[in-house]
Amino acid sequence: MFVLVIHILNVLHCCVFVCLFLTVTAAEPWPENATLYQPLKEDQILLSDCASSLAVQAYLRMCGLPVQVVCRVNAEYMSPSGKIPFIHVGNQVVSELGPIVQFTKAKGHSLSEALDDVQRAEMKAYMELVNNMLLTAELYIQWCDDATATEISRPRYSSPYSWPLSSILAYQKQWEVRRKMNAIGWGGKTLEQVYEDVSQCCQALSQRLGTQPYFFNKHPTELDALVFGHLFTILTTRLTSAELAERIKSYSNLLSFCRRIEQTYFEDKRLIQSSCSL
Amino acid sequence: MGTVHARSLDPLPMKGPELGVQADDIEPPEIEQEPKQEVLENKDVVVQRVHIDGLGRTKEDLLTYEIAGVFRAKNLIDVMRKSHEARQKLLRLGIFRKVNVVIDTSRGEDALPNGLDVTFEVTELRRMTGSYNTMVGNNEGSMVLGLKLPNVFGRAEKLTFQFSYGTKETSYGLSFFKPQPGNFERNFSVNVYKVTGQFPWSSLRETDRGVSAEFSFPVWRTSQTLKWEGVWRELSCLARTASFAVRQESGHSLKSSLSHAMVIDTRNSSILPRQGGLLKIHQELAGYSGGDASFLKEDFEIQLNKTLFWDSVLSASLWGGLLLPIGDKPTSIADRFYLGGPTSIRGFSMYSLGPQSEGDYLGGEAYWAGGLHLYTPLPFRPGRGGFGDLFRTHFFLNAGNLCNLNYGEGPQAHLKKLAECIRWSYGLGIVLRLGNIARLELNYCIPMGVQSGDRICDGVQFGAGIRFL
Repeated sequence: MFVLVIHILNVLHCCVFVCLFLTVTAAEPWPENATLYQPLKEDQILLSDCASSLAVQAYLRMCGLPVQVVCRVNAEYMSPSGKIPFIHVGNQVVSELGPIVQFTKAKGHSLSEALDDVQRAEMKAYMELVNNMLLTAELYIQWCDDATATEISRPRYSSPYSWPLSSILAYQKQWEVRRKMNAIGWGGKTLEQVYEDVSQCCQALSQRLGTQPYFFNKHPTELDALVFGHLFTILTTRLTSAELAERIKSYSNLLSFCRRIEQTYFEDKRLIQSSCSL
Repeated sequence: MGTVHARSLDPLPMKGPELGVQADDIEPPEIEQEPKQEVLENKDVVVQRVHIDGLGRTKEDLLTYEIAGVFRAKNLIDVMRKSHEARQKLLRLGIFRKVNVVIDTSRGEDALPNGLDVTFEVTELRRMTGSYNTMVGNNEGSMVLGLKLPNVFGRAEKLTFQFSYGTKETSYGLSFFKPQPGNFERNFSVNVYKVTGQFPWSSLRETDRGVSAEFSFPVWRTSQTLKWEGVWRELSCLARTASFAVRQESGHSLKSSLSHAMVIDTRNSSILPRQGGLLKIHQELAGYSGGDASFLKEDFEIQLNKTLFWDSVLSASLWGGLLLPIGDKPTSIADRFYLGGPTSIRGFSMYSLGPQSEGDYLGGEAYWAGGLHLYTPLPFRPGRGGFGDLFRTHFFLNAGNLCNLNYGEGPQAHLKKLAECIRWSYGLGIVLRLGNIARLELNYCIPMGVQSGDRICDGVQFGAGIRFL
């Protein structure tokens, strides 16, 4: 209950800031030197952060807004919400896909303008599904699966720091994620159940996509960016087990969807592939 | 170390002078004017016995060092002087509430005709003492709980715990202090702490969790301190509106540093001295013993005081410091120096001069500051000999500069940079001495040499602190 209240407060908080952006930044055009911050590509970034960062990058590319990606050891702590990624545009700092979508909208760039109210509600529902299922599953596998946490997550997360700070921060993060998992009822799940949830989520997405190029036919929306960010990252990231990627590979239309977005929006493929090898 | 860098997160004085037992405050033992005194004055005496009454937990071997001098006295005046010295030494240990000295002629079978017995009647402090304070400041109220075990193992070891619960921040510290028996100045202490500080001038919040061990010892007339400190520092922005330069510094870092401090203090009082000087040199080397922060930091403080006509005192001080990053990593905002405010360059707002970004002060890697004060008693000297003596009027002239150095330009370019755009101020005000630890100032300041970006406090400025330029 407490968590929920905080969540609502956070949402309200974001809304207030979004309103502020609407009034303050509407007139200013998108600057040339916009920057996106994320943790170090090679040694530090984890699956979930990489997915969220790629989703935002895909969204900005779909909008045609140039952004320079900068890797910082302390990106997580620089972010106003403590979440990866965040963008620095002019003198504004905005983190996470939702607020960034609102922010670009205030600047006159939107991908979901053409949708009607029903479609927009549907899009939001699917985005919630991706965040609640895929993102949570990524966090679960990273921090609650002991093998992954020991072999990949903790060493990578703590790589920029010296001992004993490295251990303190990694265990602190793990504890925090596990507490969150318990709060949302994922604490008791087994790995198999999590894979099953991912399969169900992918099935729902696959059905919604059908044979269309994008979720809402001809034009991409923020939902496409979000789905691409997560699926592409899972597919291209090596974990202790390939099970997660295997679950996605059984949906061929999702695979071609990922390939399509990659080819259309990330011509410089080398960049994206190297960015997400975990 | 209350150095100019704002980051001295010491709201809890863990150690430092024992307030109750300042050497200045201890009145000499009252010597009763007996008619016999003149007769005994030049007569040789022998101190036969020294008693210490009232000991409970305290181990006797600790005290034998402190009172050994009394046995060496050769005449009555000497006995009284030595006893007084011994009494002061005992009080300085911080384990007795009260020490009385009784000097009497020896009694008993083996008593010599010129034999004396000296008795120290001591009252030990309680096993545990507690304190409770409330503090208001910096837009925050806090409650400070303190626990002290003044004589844990019977040899003047001291264990102190302080816990501060504030409306915004919580801090605590645990400290263990052990002096060498018979040589109180040689002591060893270990501290564990967590301190959180908010620095609105930098839109920065800093949480330090650390362990430190230090060893102090006197060499000739100096007091030397060697210290190792390991701190986990967490920096974050105070507000969403913090400048990006400060945001970039957010996150965790580990500092492990070795430092050395040397102090020569010949002043008669640390607040409002009338004569004497102070020289403090502090150097810190971080990074060689582990951690993420690597730098060499040097800073010094000089103060000279001279009494002039009509009880007025001329005081000159000079501070300076240099922070050299080691390796390619730039220095952290938490390590840099800050300058300005009623405790350093008056007429400027607290730590609000020098390099800044969007109104957040980022500190500098080099600084110097000088001050010239003329202290005089209050005009017409109201309350003379009593309350009025706590006050002084002063005229001051402060100057200084704070900047970053781009290493590689050479020392001459650095000196030139520090000599450019000097900030200075002058004015007059009233100083109030609070005990022997702090002072309050109310000044009228005229800031000069203001650079764009500096925040000034033109006119009346109020200051409180323990260290002043």
